[in-house]
Amino acid sequence: MFRGHLCVKFANRSTESYHLRSLMKNLYRFHIRLIPLMLSIFAMGFAANAQSIEGDAAAGEKLFKTYCASCHKLDSKAIGPALGGVTDRRETDWLYSWIKNNATFRASGNSDAIAIFEEYNGSVMPQFEYLSDEEIGNILAYTANPPAKPIVVSDGPVVAGGEADNSGMQMWAMIILGAIFLVLVFILATVRNTLRVVKGEEPITVVEDASNYAKFLRKNTGFMTVLTIVVAVAFLNVTYWYLMDVGVEGGKGIEASYMPPHPEPGQEAQYGEQPIAFSHKLHAGENQIDCNYCHSSARHSKTSGIPSANVCMNCHMYVNGSEITDEAGNPKYGGERSPEIQKIYDAVGWDADKLAYIEGYEEKPIRWVRIHNLPDLAYFNHAQHVTAGQVECQTCHGPVEEMEVMYQYSSLTMGWCINCHRETEVKVNTNGYYEPQHDKLVEKYHGENITVEKIGGLECGKCHY
Amino acid sequence: MATTKKYWKSFDELAGTPTAQKLAQNEFAEEIPVEDFLGDDNALSNSNTSRRDFLKYLGFSTAAATLAACESPVVESIPYVVKPDAITPGVPNYYASTYFDGNDYASILVKTREGRPIKVEPNDMAAFNGGTNARVQASVLSLYDSARLRQPMKGGEAMSWGDVMSSLRSELKKANDSGKEVVLLTSSIISPSTKEIIAELGNQFTNFRHVSYDPMSYSNKLDVWQNILGERALPSYRVENADLIVGVGADFLANYTGQDVAKAYTDRRTPGKDMNRHIQIETQLSLTGSNADKRIKVKASEHGAVLLHLYNTIAGMKGGTSLASANLPEEKKTMIEGVAKELANAGSKALVLAGNNNFAQEALAAGINRMLGNFGTTVDTNTPVYLRQGDDKAVASLIAGMKSGNVGGLITWGVNPAYSLNGFAEGIEKVGVTAALTDRIDETASKFGYQLPVNHFLESWGDYMPTSNVYSLAQPTIRPLFDTMQGEEVLMNLAGIDGSYHAYLKGFFAAKVQMAAPMLSWNTVLHDGSAEVPNMYAASEAMGTIDMNAAASAANNDVKSAGEMEIFFYQKTGMGVGNQANNPWLHELPDPISRVSWDNYATISQADAERLEIATKANSMGAYDGYTVTLKVGDRTLNGVPVFVQPGQESGTIGLAVGYGRTMVGKAGDNVGVNAFALMSGDHYATSAEISEISSDRDHGFACIQLAHTMMGRKIVNETTNDVYMTAAPQEWNELPLFETFKGKMGPDKVNLWEDHDHETGHMWNMSMDLNKCIGCGACVVACHLENNVPVVGKEEVRKHRDMHWLRIDRYYSSEESFAADEEKVEEMSGLWGENGSLGGFGELEKASENPAVAFQPVMCQHCNHAPCETVCPVGATVHSKEGLNHMAYNRCIGTRYCANNCPYKVRRFNWFNYKGNEDFADFNPSQDEYGKMVLNPDVTVRARGVMEKCSLCIQRIQYNKLEAKKAGKPIEDGQFTTACAQACGTGAITFGDVNDTNSAVYAAKNDTRAYHLLEEIGTQPSVFYQTKVRNTKEA
Repeated sequence: MFRGHLCVKFANRSTESYHLRSLMKNLYRFHIRLIPLMLSIFAMGFAANAQSIEGDAAAGEKLFKTYCASCHKLDSKAIGPALGGVTDRRETDWLYSWIKNNATFRASGNSDAIAIFEEYNGSVMPQFEYLSDEEIGNILAYTANPPAKPIVVSDGPVVAGGEADNSGMQMWAMIILGAIFLVLVFILATVRNTLRVVKGEEPITVVEDASNYAKFLRKNTGFMTVLTIVVAVAFLNVTYWYLMDVGVEGGKGIEASYMPPHPEPGQEAQYGEQPIAFSHKLHAGENQIDCNYCHSSARHSKTSGIPSANVCMNCHMYVNGSEITDEAGNPKYGGERSPEIQKIYDAVGWDADKLAYIEGYEEKPIRWVRIHNLPDLAYFNHAQHVTAGQVECQTCHGPVEEMEVMYQYSSLTMGWCINCHRETEVKVNTNGYYEPQHDKLVEKYHGENITVEKIGGLECGKCHY
Repeated sequence: MATTKKYWKSFDELAGTPTAQKLAQNEFAEEIPVEDFLGDDNALSNSNTSRRDFLKYLGFSTAAATLAACESPVVESIPYVVKPDAITPGVPNYYASTYFDGNDYASILVKTREGRPIKVEPNDMAAFNGGTNARVQASVLSLYDSARLRQPMKGGEAMSWGDVMSSLRSELKKANDSGKEVVLLTSSIISPSTKEIIAELGNQFTNFRHVSYDPMSYSNKLDVWQNILGERALPSYRVENADLIVGVGADFLANYTGQDVAKAYTDRRTPGKDMNRHIQIETQLSLTGSNADKRIKVKASEHGAVLLHLYNTIAGMKGGTSLASANLPEEKKTMIEGVAKELANAGSKALVLAGNNNFAQEALAAGINRMLGNFGTTVDTNTPVYLRQGDDKAVASLIAGMKSGNVGGLITWGVNPAYSLNGFAEGIEKVGVTAALTDRIDETASKFGYQLPVNHFLESWGDYMPTSNVYSLAQPTIRPLFDTMQGEEVLMNLAGIDGSYHAYLKGFFAAKVQMAAPMLSWNTVLHDGSAEVPNMYAASEAMGTIDMNAAASAANNDVKSAGEMEIFFYQKTGMGVGNQANNPWLHELPDPISRVSWDNYATISQADAERLEIATKANSMGAYDGYTVTLKVGDRTLNGVPVFVQPGQESGTIGLAVGYGRTMVGKAGDNVGVNAFALMSGDHYATSAEISEISSDRDHGFACIQLAHTMMGRKIVNETTNDVYMTAAPQEWNELPLFETFKGKMGPDKVNLWEDHDHETGHMWNMSMDLNKCIGCGACVVACHLENNVPVVGKEEVRKHRDMHWLRIDRYYSSEESFAADEEKVEEMSGLWGENGSLGGFGELEKASENPAVAFQPVMCQHCNHAPCETVCPVGATVHSKEGLNHMAYNRCIGTRYCANNCPYKVRRFNWFNYKGNEDFADFNPSQDEYGKMVLNPDVTVRARGVMEKCSLCIQRIQYNKLEAKKAGKPIEDGQFTTACAQACGTGAITFGDVNDTNSAVYAAKNDTRAYHLLEEIGTQPSVFYQTKVRNTKEA
């Protein structure tokens, strides 16, 4: 039923049909998750001069999101004209006729209808004869008088302030504790010397004390050896973790590594600058866009693929900003005309005002910083895991839908791979590929789970060649 | 000896001025302020910092700084801005195209990854020549040759295409206005649309000529067939219909008319009653001759007389008219009569193929074929082959015209005559305007006024008509890397035709091709690569115009006195005529017969070598050294030609490969070998040759990768005859070694100490090598090289036996007249000394016969299921898989090389150097070249220094195709994919598949009576096995 919405003439580009198909897929799958974004656009403003239109604006909002929002916004032009306050500009009857079947309406010779059709370059709006008058009334009520509802993306558990000073606090605590310790040592030494004096012995200075310990150590070579080993091991341990921290083994992006792999609760991962402040939390979390929609090659190829900018444009042709605000009420994702989304437009050459691609524009590739880097000696194939193995993306990549900034969730070390191969069952029953082997496998491992390991998933040559 | 010479540095010194004398006293002209930093002894000794302390601090601070500077690199990932619909990163695309370089023609599939061609595969939908030889396989690297010319040039200056073309047009117009001739010299052109463009170009000039030129000319053959076919073309040979093939100097399996007959030939090599018989009469041991059932050595100059004697003998038997009696010694005549008898018995199912570029020889061969009734059966005169177009007479008149100054404008395209054509270079100066359409500044282009870079074939459109009933298309698979233009487009520009060649070609297709073949659509032909079209050839009757008597006397006149030396020019399977002389893969590919890489050389017989005392010898390092000589033919000389002793060479003859000795081709190919074309004049052999100026010692090193040339009577290549195969029990000719055990006699597969791997529950990849179908051409070796990113190591390393080929084709000579006789000799040995003593006997067996039987055996990792390498690896870097493969984990290998030492098949290769970074290999290792590295297969690791590597049975393909099957949710089908070597093999000698699939071809091969394992008795239980070689010794 959404198919009809999209009979729209796009700017004349070779990828036109591709856009259309992708967008339809998107809408089918996600039931227009984009709409919350659109909503934000009119969050304030119309109530004051709203004309009273009969209808349930709240019900209208739902309908608007379902049927209208892919082409219309309330306050600005998209594919179709802005609909905020449309009831002020047009007769209600005119609107009903247009919405129900604009083609016959135009054919009837209504000059306004023809004019608006031509103004929008003959973009065909679908017919909504299946909408009842009441439903249309609700939509119109909504356009005239949208319920105000500021949208705030929940930020997860809010942590008390002062978190940032945590490390400083610890440092001070350490210094104070150290001072107390020194004072204690001093007191003890003084007390001991006092006791010696009381007993009539010579008091011992700290230096003499130290040289006595040194003598003791020189005599007890066994103890010395053990001590040296303990110190050396401790030192090596520290060095090892320091080097692990460098993150070459994980091949992390800018400065950070997978150690520590996860940001502290309430903090976002900080990995320096990506060229675009892209939020997986917004796209995959709030808007619930399927991973495979953008990373489509994960199903077919060894690489999951960073989406090309034309994939972004499937939605961002219409979505050029966000009114989502943070706690303080500041725009969280760049505001109404997001400068981050503008970067996509700069890459592909999209004129956001004219809603058209710029002729002869020299495309500028987006240079993303790669987060997941496997060494060249390991062969990894996404399709094997996503399509054949039916593994969820989150199994390896973690809660991407909660990440404002992408980070490497799993260690991606060989031990991590192997563990999973030991535990994961193979889809021998559902994938026809295993048909010739199925009975033999069941016979050999009767009762046991057939894991990746059992079909050779731990062999060197499966990943190293 | 005292000398009065005085050496001086300056006039002052010569004159002996005081300043000069003072300066001469001091080593340094100025005081060096040593005192300032070392002179103050006091300061030095009082310093707290001793030298040791200083070094400690230095060391510590360096280590600290290094540690502190450690951070992971930023890796960028840059997606497409607008992704092309067809491309998914990581998934290859295949495009059908056509390869034709004037010498080789092949219908191909080009594999591209992310828009860059990385492999050329045979096209199994080909209407003609669906196989790929080594040169076609390697051609993808020539695309990324950084020696290519990158922009148009005029007189050494880079210019824009617009300027250079308008300048050339006006200069050509001037030349035309002066009344002189304008000539276009090209390689063989078989593109109908290009011919039309050339015709248009001709209309621009009053006096225009198009001359075709083949470096290895077939002009005289074409003259013969013009008389028969009425068209300047060669007939198609239907080798599949031939029960008996007699090649007289024709290397038809490798380098002949351009028609690929190897598949048809080997299809009939399957043992049984339908097996063909092949007799080769030739000068030098060719690839074709080494596959023959019977081989007779004669000189190239005697080929005519041999054919004449065949003709006469058959005429006698068939009641035809004999010609003049052949001028041949009696013993040779007797041998030829035996062949003639066989030919007569084979009737119309025989085929005689003549080599060389000789009118009389070709006429006699055609006469024999016609007499036997082969026209219509094995010689197809209805579908002419157009792949050879060169015209010696036209070329000769062009050179004469150039020298006399009659040529005002000369455009060359796709040829390098200054290198390959005697007399051409001298004529260039007198030509007014010279323009070379070339891929690089080569020997010819460097002497020309205009150098116009043309697209590589992988960047080009094209159409071809290889035979009268096949039409094929070529399509670009990448945008031009450099500022080059399609050759046709340059000609269109000169001819005043507007638009792109692509548009022109589509127009031509619609107007001409679809007119003749309305059922063809552009997209279908483009998708399939080629299509059959209605036969365009109209037969004519003209045989009578060949004067057979003249041919007979010419053939007899060719025969020279016995003592005279002669040179036979041949093409190597790697280098061909030298079109890709800068391709390191082709240099590294060892010659299938001599096993020498990175060289060409004069091959001579053992007898001649001993007579002249110029025998090749292995030195203590295990490498061959040889003498160099000067070869002389008439007034042409060639210096510094190394001499290599070649079994099977007729005494009194020298073989010399063309295509080497380039000087302006690029870093990899320059000055490799000597230029045989310098001695050549049209025909493929030259008489009255002299060897002179023999070097005083063995001053030339050969990079020969095989030192043991005989099998010493062992069952390495198992061989039998067709008669035995058909009649005897398999155990008699394919004996399984048995061992005595307490349970009785058992085969090596039963007697073992090891636990078996589980090979039942999944796949079990096996490979069968049919030794009857392997002709030794080496296409698989090159295919393996590029599929697996095998490094090129260069001549010096090959000389040290550090070649990295994962797949080698061993070539064995018999020591007696046949391998069976070798075995017999071993069996008859008794005791150590004496006539049948083993000490002397084995020594004799090391030496190849003067006319040996030859066997080829491709050997790669045998993927032993009880692998000796696995047990000795201290770090578990080589381990076995459930699927029957021997895995090699490079990143685990620490380079002990125990595995290579313990490998009975010697197939493991060690990375002695960092070939991708070491500057010693920079000139020829593609992975070190800015462009060359683009050819690397992204699915295969480029190995580092110090690790072992070997054949993986193309595990990347196995894994990829298993995944494809899993994605599709269906079992792997037999033949769904195969290894790179098996895919490249044009004769189907290699069968790869899953033996757990009982319907698979490899399962059938494994259970064939001919199947055996290499060195079966050692119990390694390999996953690779061989099919016994069967020779057809039965005289027809």
